Amino acid sequence: MQARRLFAVALTFALALAVFAATRGDERAAAGRAGTVSAAAPSLRPDADTDAQVRRLQAAVRRGAAREAELAAAYLQKARESGDPSFYSRADGVLGRALARGPEDPAELVEAAALAAGRHEFREAVRLARRARSLAPGSNAAYPVLVDALVELGRYRDAERALQRMIDRKPTLPAYARVSYFRELTGDLRGAAAALRLAVAAGGPVPENFAYVQSLLGSLELNRGRLAASRRAYAAALVAVPGYAPAEAGRARLAARSGDLRGAIRRWRSLVARLPLPEYVIGLGEAELAAGRVRAGRADLALVRAQERLLDDAGVNTDVELAIYEADHGDQLRAVRLARVAWRQAPSVRSADALGWALTRSGDRRAGLRWARRALRLGSLDPTFRYHAGIAAGDTPEGRRHLRLALRHGLGAHPLHANRARAALEDR
Amino acid sequence: MRRSKALAAASVAALAAGSLAVSGVFGSSHREAPRIMLDPAADNTDVYAFTAKDAPGSLTVVANWIPFEDPAGGPYFGKLDPRARYYVKIDNTGDGVEDVAYRWDFKNKFRRPDSFLYARPTVTTADDPDVNFVQTYDLYRETYDKDGDLKHTKQVGDDLIVAPDNVGPKTIPNYEAVSNDAIAPVKGGGKTFVGPADDPFFIDLGAVFDGINIDKPGRPNIGLGNQGGGKDDVASYNTHSFVLQVPESRVTRNGRSVKDMKSSNAVIALWSTTERKRMSVRRHNGRKHYKPDWVQVSRLGEPLINEVIIPAGDKDKFNRTSPADDRANFGKYALNPEPARLLNALFGLGVKETDRKDIVQALLTGLPGLTQIGKNPVPADTLKLNLGVPPAATENRFGVLGGDMAGFPNGRRLADDVTDIELRVIAGALLPADKGGKQIPLGDGVDQNDKPFRSTFPYVALATDGFSGTVKRTEPAHAPVPQPPTTGMTTPPSGMTTP
Repeated sequence: MQARRLFAVALTFALALAVFAATRGDERAAAGRAGTVSAAAPSLRPDADTDAQVRRLQAAVRRGAAREAELAAAYLQKARESGDPSFYSRADGVLGRALARGPEDPAELVEAAALAAGRHEFREAVRLARRARSLAPGSNAAYPVLVDALVELGRYRDAERALQRMIDRKPTLPAYARVSYFRELTGDLRGAAAALRLAVAAGGPVPENFAYVQSLLGSLELNRGRLAASRRAYAAALVAVPGYAPAEAGRARLAARSGDLRGAIRRWRSLVARLPLPEYVIGLGEAELAAGRVRAGRADLALVRAQERLLDDAGVNTDVELAIYEADHGDQLRAVRLARVAWRQAPSVRSADALGWALTRSGDRRAGLRWARRALRLGSLDPTFRYHAGIAAGDTPEGRRHLRLALRHGLGAHPLHANRARAALEDR
Repeated sequence: MRRSKALAAASVAALAAGSLAVSGVFGSSHREAPRIMLDPAADNTDVYAFTAKDAPGSLTVVANWIPFEDPAGGPYFGKLDPRARYYVKIDNTGDGVEDVAYRWDFKNKFRRPDSFLYARPTVTTADDPDVNFVQTYDLYRETYDKDGDLKHTKQVGDDLIVAPDNVGPKTIPNYEAVSNDAIAPVKGGGKTFVGPADDPFFIDLGAVFDGINIDKPGRPNIGLGNQGGGKDDVASYNTHSFVLQVPESRVTRNGRSVKDMKSSNAVIALWSTTERKRMSVRRHNGRKHYKPDWVQVSRLGEPLINEVIIPAGDKDKFNRTSPADDRANFGKYALNPEPARLLNALFGLGVKETDRKDIVQALLTGLPGLTQIGKNPVPADTLKLNLGVPPAATENRFGVLGGDMAGFPNGRRLADDVTDIELRVIAGALLPADKGGKQIPLGDGVDQNDKPFRSTFPYVALATDGFSGTVKRTEPAHAPVPQPPTTGMTTPPSGMTTP
């Protein structure tokens, strides 16, 4: 990508972010009328069109129907689909009014829990989800967010218990997808793929959900080295939701993994032009560096920094992936600081990995290795976790083992790091 | 198409603003798997059971799965799940436990795996090579012992074809012929069909779920819902119909056909279920205490029970439990139905709100002399059908309330107006006047399906095609229809009203 064009995209992005910051909380202005009697039936219509759903529910709530929880759920789904955080504020507004009105409603609590999790307030999410579950023990609704929040908090035993109950009660796409993630965390990639295939077969009411699990399957098969299966899964996701970003990103990684760096760069570029997420910009920049296009790579990677600042200004939670970016391409001390914040919010294996890598890159390899081992305590075969541990362990049997595992399980999709891992193995 | 447009409509700027922010969806900050537990592929929408005019001596069942299939929607959504099991279960002893069940297992395949096109012109048969995405099924008949344990399984249909989706007239010029081509014989007698069909249900959902909002502002002429004006929210949506016609002897308690409506084997009770595979989170441990590997994720007996009678917090529980346990789990909701309180709060009708044994009887134990199995049946949400009642020469959409004994709640025909019937029963139509009985002509203002049903197997109306499909239909206004209806109200059979 031409640096100038990329800069233009970033500028658009900055403007949009500013608009978002300025209009936050506007939703609260819409007054809620006293609710009349409602049959309180859940929406029967699993409509594929989230926008239509939002409009319908907005109208219902405006008429005074007590359907705020459903509207909040639609806003949160919309946030999933568009990535637009203003939908979080809208969900917040509508839930705030409903919860203030009372009495305590389990459906509203579940949505509030989901909102808290979306904002990385995982402890609050657990509290709200548990409260909802105790109010409606027959309902399954609180389980998905409860499981997610427990996983982020690193409470894997509790998460496993809740997830087992969830899938025993209703084995369906959200349950299968979570089982898959749990198995992936424990290094059971075959089992993870089996669960994802059940999720794909089950499908869901919203095309995005289907595309999501197909994309996960694509990444998993990529890491397992089953490139044809990976390609098929990404293609299926893109049929369900044309242009679906996670699947496009997956295809860029797949190209890199297949040794087609030019193809990978082309795919990253077109994706970044549309959606300049740090994750994607990093993918582009690292592919360029791996291809020897050092200037372009550095210019693109510099953009992540700008995005990071914008995020801070918008009061948005920083994130482990930014810590890893700083560790790889920026200020290592800043990386450590960011990773520590992430760990406090979400003491998960992911945060442990980020903190470990930040420490390793800042020069403290001993501490880095300690945290890297912590990240691997469940047995994960995540290629970046293994790569980070391998570099931290240095030229030791342990270090070589981690690097080989990383390369065997998909590090090739991250060409810059794959090259470094191979070089490290050859040097030794 | 609609989907891609919606995506394009989101401007780059808005997308960019969102994307970086809070959510872990696009960024990999944490894996946020979907939360929506709605499960259309496993969602059984309705069960119908009746004796068809052209098939006396046989049971005809229509069980539908997948609600609100948009005819123009992507053909890969709302596909039947090849990893799930689909059942119609039959209790012929009145204990709420299945004695006979039919099970459908599906397989998917792409004829041209490199293409994602659903079908190309011109499709002339159900198994046409121009259809790319093909679903097939095996059909099994299962028998169960008294405790509900599986005794015997027999395959009665092998590698049968699911009718293709009605993509449009260019791809499938004669859809009726293609759809009918999917009809197959059942081993041991009978016929089977599985495929998309126009959803036979008709209801003003918007009104019913908006607090039975019949008397809407801006719709002054709808009255109590008995003079049209309702908007059929299901019109022009498709569903997947499983239509099965088998000799009575395959489903009755003694394995014989039914002589008349008084015969001891005359009444059977039906419901549909969907099961999915459960798994242990950790693959290699804890396997042993998961004996039954299949979990029921959805069930349906009588219409609107889970929607109207079961409160929100218990709907999931309803879907995973058995009809045999309905009294313990949900009996109180039938005895003191929320809609009765709602009707009083909204319209001040003075409907009896508690101790509604008449509703328990009509819905759960069966009407004595008509749909009750044996002397002391277990209260269960199952659709009860007396196979000894001959089909009506002229159907009345109010069924038994309209003096037509061959209709709901004796079984359920495609054209039975179950919404109006249930609203009226809740208002007290089955109670004697001195016990709080009230004849109030309630309804949702929708009286019939948007498409006529077919007179021969598989009876359901043809699926709306994706090319010309438009959704929704408004019932034209008409003169108020009184309750009880003037047509054919004869003397009710004994037990029709609660003593």
